[in-house]
Amino acid sequence: MSKKNKIYWGLGVTEKGTKALLTDENSKFKWLRSQRNRRILVVLYALGILVVSLGSYYPTLKTNLNISSETEITILVVTGIWVVLSVLIGYSLLRVAVRGIAEAPDELLDERQIQIRNTSYRYAYLTMMYVVFAILLAMLFGPELVLFEPEGNDGSYLVIAALFAFSSAPSMILAWRERDI
Amino acid sequence: MSRNSEEPVFNQIEQIRTAQGLSRQELADLVGVHYQTIGYLERGEYSPSLVLALRIAKALKKEVSELFSLTEQKTGKK
Repeated sequence: MSKKNKIYWGLGVTEKGTKALLTDENSKFKWLRSQRNRRILVVLYALGILVVSLGSYYPTLKTNLNISSETEITILVVTGIWVVLSVLIGYSLLRVAVRGIAEAPDELLDERQIQIRNTSYRYAYLTMMYVVFAILLAMLFGPELVLFEPEGNDGSYLVIAALFAFSSAPSMILAWRERDI
Repeated sequence: MSRNSEEPVFNQIEQIRTAQGLSRQELADLVGVHYQTIGYLERGEYSPSLVLALRIAKALKKEVSELFSLTEQKTGKK
């Protein structure tokens, strides 16, 4: 009889799912685990997040550039596909690329994996702190950059981008730093 | 201080493992770690805890001192 699949609610993972990722059960993603491909994925994913965050400026951009409705549809479709591919799929691929180590519970990791996981969280925390600080400086001193406007830009895209960035930063750091073995 | 930033630890894991006909995966299964961790250990890019060092020594039927040293042995790797 198969053992019950434990759910780690706080981490949003299951025991079987985590073990499957850790043991490379799905060999069709093997290509993704080379350092080069992991780093390409991190760059594409970061660009995807950047595009999402810039979504807040679209109403301003549309007015300033006098974009026609046909062009607007094209922009929205292309941007939508880009966001879905790079952010939503990228988020899943990123987890696979680092074997889900960032979200795995301690009891399913070995001591080196726990060490690199902890280090990645420390770097992620520092990175995000600097990013937030940079945004704060831009809000205070950037004359052209207005993050929140009463009409149009309500900053919601920025919040969505921040959510993706914060939740995946440890995996991004891991994907970038891990060497090939 | 991080173990990795301390004095380098040299080891004979790869030589002894291959001499015993074990793959990285097999040794990893014996000591309860991921096969990548064995790779990192063999390349000297990760220094194990005392518990893991003892488990590896037991799996390879060697003394810890035969596997790990603070000085580079003839065929040892950092």
